[in-house]
Amino acid sequence: MADAVIVVALLLVAATATAAVAVRDPVSQALVLAVLGVALALLFTVLQAPDVALSQLAVGSALTPLLLLLSVRKVRRQRKGRTE
Amino acid sequence: MNGWTVTATAALAGGGAAVVWGVATGPLRRRVIAQNLSTTLFCSALLLLAQGYGRPSYVDIALVLALLGPVGTLVFARLLAEDLDEDPPRARALTWRAVGFGAAVVLAACVATGPGRAMAKLLVTGALLIGGTLVASRALAHGMPKGEDRHG
Repeated sequence: MADAVIVVALLLVAATATAAVAVRDPVSQALVLAVLGVALALLFTVLQAPDVALSQLAVGSALTPLLLLLSVRKVRRQRKGRTE
Repeated sequence: MNGWTVTATAALAGGGAAVVWGVATGPLRRRVIAQNLSTTLFCSALLLLAQGYGRPSYVDIALVLALLGPVGTLVFARLLAEDLDEDPPRARALTWRAVGFGAAVVLAACVATGPGRAMAKLLVTGALLIGGTLVASRALAHGMPKGEDRHG
């Protein structure tokens, strides 16, 4: 019974990771990745690794989506400039 | 397994499923709302788990998430402003419900901790969480200044 939290966290991570792969649009993928980062941090906390969770949070919740969105923006701009 | 962990498990199972469903399907506006509210849900769950495990240092993770989660949502609100402009995401009832859950969790944890430094940290976390969620959902609903306006 004490493992219920671990099972729920694992299921959450599995579902979110599957969604991150299945979603095709890069912008939506960035959103799913943000949730996946936080879910992974939760899993690490549940597995009693709070320091790993802290670094995962710092990278996963804001930095990865920011990088992805910036690249999407740059690609869109270049494409727009090429068609004009 | 005590009441805190049971509550955290129930909240994660129910709210987590809703968040994953919301963020993986539907139009973009629904996805950003789900991402915003996932911060509130996971932060409350982390606070509950810190109480359940009897480890006050786990509150640090919730504090960092309360700080960084709204920042992530603001990044989306800023960089997706053009996509969200014509159909701004609004979910006032849902946002207030999530914020209310977060406030209830913070209050319960404060009552269980008692006065002291730990309670101050919990209150700071709660204030950051509630303020951050409200600011982020406001930025999503009302839009942000676009880059083109400033850079010309």
